Amino acid sequence: MVPLLQRRLFCNKSFHQNHHQWPIKQVTKSNFDDSLSEIKQRISTSDFVAVFLQNTGSSSSPWQRVSAFDTPDTAYSKAKSAAERFQTLQFAVCPFTLQASKLTAYPYNFHLFPRDEHKLGMPSYSFTCQTSSLTSMAREGFDFNACIYDGISYLSRAQEYAAKFRIGIPMPVDHKTKSSSPTTTVADTVFVERIRTRVRHWKNVCTDISTTKLEDAFVRSLRTIVLGSEKYGSRPSITIDVCSERQVQLVLEMLEQSDNLVPLLVPAKSGGIQSVRAVLTSSQEDKNLLKMELQNLEVDQTKRVRGFREVIDLISASQKPVVSYNSLNDFTFIHSKFITPLPPTVDEFTNSLHLAFPVVLDVNHLVKNIVPVKKTTNISATMLYLKNRFIAPIDMEIPHEDVVNVGNNHGHNVVKICHLFGKLCSVLKITPSAIQSGNHHLASSALQGYENVFQLCPNIPQESTDEEDIRIWTNNTRKVSCQDVVFLWGFKKGTTAGMLKSLLQGSHEVFTEEFDLRLVDRSCAIVVFWQPGSSQTFLDVMNGKDFSGKLMEMVSEGVRASGYEAYKRVCSSGLWESELADSLDKALASSECNSESDSESKPSEIYWCSELMINLDDL
Amino acid sequence: MKKQWPVRALSRALSSSTSSSTTTMTTTNTASFPLKHVTKSNFESALSSLSDHVRAADFVAIDLEMTGVTSAPWRDSFEFDRFDVRYLKVKDSAEKFAVVQFGVCPFRWDPLKLSFVAHPHNFFIYPRQELPFDGPANEFLCQTTSLDFLAKYQFDFNACIHEGVSYLSREQEVEALKRANLIYEDGLSDSLKEARDMQVVNVVDFLFSERMKNRLSEWRGGLLQERNGGFEFQGSSNDSEQQFRTVFFKMRPAVSLNGFSSHQLRLIQLVVKKHFKDLAYLHVSGENSSQQFIVYVDSESDKKLLMREVKDQQCKHEELKIKAAVGFRHVIDLLSSEKKLIVGHNCFLDIAHIYSKFLGPLPSTGEEFASSVNNYFPSIIDTKVLLNSNNVLQQLMKKSSTSLSSAFSVLCPQIVLGSKSSYLPLQSRVKVEVEVDDMRSSSWNSGVKHEAGYDAFMTGCIFAQACSHLGIDFKLHLPSENLAHNEKLKKHINRLYLSWTNGDIINLSTGNRTSESFGSNNHKMRYTKICFEHIVLIWGFQSKIKARAIKECISKVLGLSSVTSVYHVDESAVFVHFSKAGLVSKFLALKESLERTNDPISVLHPLAKLLEGGNTRAASYETYKEICSSPISKVLFADQAEAFGIKWKTKLVESNVEANTQESKILHEGNSMNSESDSAQESNNRKINKVTNDSSYDQLSRNEIVDSFYTSHNAEQIRTSNF
Repeated sequence: MVPLLQRRLFCNKSFHQNHHQWPIKQVTKSNFDDSLSEIKQRISTSDFVAVFLQNTGSSSSPWQRVSAFDTPDTAYSKAKSAAERFQTLQFAVCPFTLQASKLTAYPYNFHLFPRDEHKLGMPSYSFTCQTSSLTSMAREGFDFNACIYDGISYLSRAQEYAAKFRIGIPMPVDHKTKSSSPTTTVADTVFVERIRTRVRHWKNVCTDISTTKLEDAFVRSLRTIVLGSEKYGSRPSITIDVCSERQVQLVLEMLEQSDNLVPLLVPAKSGGIQSVRAVLTSSQEDKNLLKMELQNLEVDQTKRVRGFREVIDLISASQKPVVSYNSLNDFTFIHSKFITPLPPTVDEFTNSLHLAFPVVLDVNHLVKNIVPVKKTTNISATMLYLKNRFIAPIDMEIPHEDVVNVGNNHGHNVVKICHLFGKLCSVLKITPSAIQSGNHHLASSALQGYENVFQLCPNIPQESTDEEDIRIWTNNTRKVSCQDVVFLWGFKKGTTAGMLKSLLQGSHEVFTEEFDLRLVDRSCAIVVFWQPGSSQTFLDVMNGKDFSGKLMEMVSEGVRASGYEAYKRVCSSGLWESELADSLDKALASSECNSESDSESKPSEIYWCSELMINLDDL
Repeated sequence: MKKQWPVRALSRALSSSTSSSTTTMTTTNTASFPLKHVTKSNFESALSSLSDHVRAADFVAIDLEMTGVTSAPWRDSFEFDRFDVRYLKVKDSAEKFAVVQFGVCPFRWDPLKLSFVAHPHNFFIYPRQELPFDGPANEFLCQTTSLDFLAKYQFDFNACIHEGVSYLSREQEVEALKRANLIYEDGLSDSLKEARDMQVVNVVDFLFSERMKNRLSEWRGGLLQERNGGFEFQGSSNDSEQQFRTVFFKMRPAVSLNGFSSHQLRLIQLVVKKHFKDLAYLHVSGENSSQQFIVYVDSESDKKLLMREVKDQQCKHEELKIKAAVGFRHVIDLLSSEKKLIVGHNCFLDIAHIYSKFLGPLPSTGEEFASSVNNYFPSIIDTKVLLNSNNVLQQLMKKSSTSLSSAFSVLCPQIVLGSKSSYLPLQSRVKVEVEVDDMRSSSWNSGVKHEAGYDAFMTGCIFAQACSHLGIDFKLHLPSENLAHNEKLKKHINRLYLSWTNGDIINLSTGNRTSESFGSNNHKMRYTKICFEHIVLIWGFQSKIKARAIKECISKVLGLSSVTSVYHVDESAVFVHFSKAGLVSKFLALKESLERTNDPISVLHPLAKLLEGGNTRAASYETYKEICSSPISKVLFADQAEAFGIKWKTKLVESNVEANTQESKILHEGNSMNSESDSAQESNNRKINKVTNDSSYDQLSRNEIVDSFYTSHNAEQIRTSNF
């Protein structure tokens, strides 16, 4: 615990270095509308958009962090679970351009809070906070009041769709929905005729000014009731109840024939269309005016409902490459908060994400092409390393005119990411145009298609056929088949990896071969057998009954072992206990009752890399 | 939003002794000074003054502010909550959410001034991890609407997270001490463990080791020479002297090592162990840094002695650190050890929070909880129970709501409006003076509603006034007399609302629960018997199917009078209350057989509509309890059941359940769901609604589907816990 204290002290000192000089535009509810139009313009003229998310937590316990022994599937499960539970409080966006060594950036830092502005239980009913995360945010001077009082709310695409019905505001007809079907039944004709007469009658009364003038108020109100006439703004309107999609279609077709009626769809709260409202306009100009009004209303409405998601939509619509430091983490959050709930598998996730963000660049991953793994623990460390090793001066310019630095200058990380990315591009000789066209050998391998999966898992080296990559990685990483990995738990608390290893060495002949052992957390260790098949031998022994000597002793003390598939099941079925040992126990218990239904034979490999293992000092 | 905490060390010292004469205090009539806010920085001093106040107090009022109340809409309080289920819901809430503000307000009767003296304290607390291992909580849940609610009342989140006082529960403290002792049992500290595996293979390492060896032997030689005859050890002149400073450690000559890397230190340690029998390498962790020493020891026994000494010191240091981490729990321990009467307003959830945060994990049943709490706090009084169970008070309250702020304004108008205006007879008015540091006022009313400290103050005022109405004359009250043992209060002591929704009261002294008889309550309350054996829980049906449709569906099959009511748990689940227990098993069996056969005829079956989609599941009420006990909290009940691991479609029950029919009277207060509106909005409204009493109740016939909900008239009464 002493090194921990030291490290904290060190962090304190090294933190406030030079990011205060960067003007970053802080955006809350009050200046969101102005900033939105501004950032829209900045995004459209930029080469890249960098993002950085400040979340209320990252993982509930150490083993739930994505680590080196994760396959893309398990890594995704872990990231998914975090994204679903924690909340993003700040979202920094920085559109930037990169020309040679000149980097022009426009950093914005959006304060978010999932306020339920429309009383719909959305965007989120509740969220989890990790105490340590909030504490470290506080140490950096995070303003929680600004966030909760003035944070911008939002709805995801899926939530917006649901909200539209719940709010129940009449929508103008979307022209795509109108597709006339050829077959018309007798019932349809009867229905249409009935509505047509009703509408005609109502129209006549409305347009016949002479009658309305003469009548007294009582008769007029009676007439309104009989006709079902209502007012839409200053214009008369009538509501036509419908009970099926087909009827909506028919009513719309019928109303189309009249030139001074504008149809509106009234959504039902449970989804679908409840009724069609026809608004009577006095002339063609008036009709156009109404249509314009409706359009503006809808724009306003959607803007209010979407909130911060407008920014996400802008980035998505621009199709600009998005630069992030920890893309798996960031994009699971973005997907679950702003697009739709996360799909169950990593493949579906990448496909869905690819539609919204075709090009995602992971700086951390790019860094690994040139920097040894242990030097890239965080953005600052990577920066320092690059600064010492490569001469790649980047001329940063942040031409925000109207930003006054008022002490709380959050979101500097996004600028650091831009800076780092600029440096990397210059070191790796990537030009923005190459990335956009996708013909550079590095860019293309990192950006296209399925390989996004690997790129999205920050700690998993990219599955690459590139000779160079492999050479770099063999320095400290060895590829291991999941079949040679065994999880071991149930040993005495406080046992170190060294103690455990020496215990095992004398316990069974399988351990006379070369093997490696690391602690995943306090309760569980991962064992790698370098001899193919040894793991199976060991598991067979553990599952059998004839133990001998030391192994017997260990088993009687409660030591259990299982192959990689138990760990996979832990991740896929979301058994997120605070200690991996408990999760594995649960996974085994559940597998006993439904025997091996998932015998997928996906060949999976992980990378054994000592530096990437969880540092027990961090626990 | 930064608030200014007045720091008045001197005056606090004055006011800390309660006997100090009031003449030295500034007594104002219409004062508007803030109550006492306590954060990390002034915690120590506030605690010492608070202990004096608590010791002298006749009772202590408390109030808590949390980050949320329900972790999912279906965990909200329903009238269909059985006693044990209600406890599980409270347990879930207390385990998941954090307490961010804790109001403590000791009240003392001043016989000279014939008034109470209140000391409102508002503690900001935050479960910060002060120790490197297992802190109070690694994570906690926030309910968005609750945070928004707190923000509306200007809650200072920064003060809470940046400056909040941390805490450890009793159990966590014991655990931490155990762990600390374990570390020092094994070795002196981690770095004193053998660096055995390390082998010096590297040339650089080898050279470094050799140099260190020479350095150390030189130093040792010098030391021995000095003993034999005055060798002056060279004063520090160059760089390496900075790294290698001679000091005294525990009365022994020693070298303090500075500026070495951890790898180098390990090498030095190895050298010492290998080559110097009379030197000991020590690693001492201090306040916020650690120090390495090489100490000269005379003999092996001296070495052992030194190690012992260091170990004890380290242990003590560690214990001190743990004691400091106990933090806010000192306040709770104080309340417990002084055995004062604790007063809260609708405080069952508050007590559950106190238990889980400061004692240990909550027991699994309400009975165990009650007996355990009773040991810790022997007398608790709930002002909401008090107001509702006494006729005199009920008449006084007339029809107004028993929410905290409403009760305060009805019972204590002299405090709300200032001392002059009051319609209460003069003699029954209880005077309350507020004292904060050196400020004192007889008509203090500058608190902020829903600030824990002010809410605690209001609760205490209500209690004092209520006591006076019950005929307790404080003028005759002796300071030595314990208010908790007063005859007139006795029958109200330790009775807490387990659920305000259905009037379930738990008695903490006995663990029994009773249903409240709203004797003279004016509302047209309708009593319906809920037999939990008559209930089937159905979930996973298609979302467009509403309560009415479900009732129709089942009535077609089992008869028109078979279903008493259908109640939405949320949009994905319903409780169906049958008129007979036999129908439960009948329904479940029918559903099971329909799903099993799956032939064309079963598609035409009236129940087919309910079973559409193939995910409709049904079980008895017991399953609801099981699912409530799960630590998972998905927003939708159907998702929760799936996450809980339910794979079956129908859980059959034995049909002879009539024997042991447990019945419970509940109130149809119209708190049920509107089957037409969606549940998210519903739960929102309900939060508002459950606090108001002045609402229109629908006259529902016994067999009707309950689908009314009432609207709030007073938005100010939104209250998450002390409604």
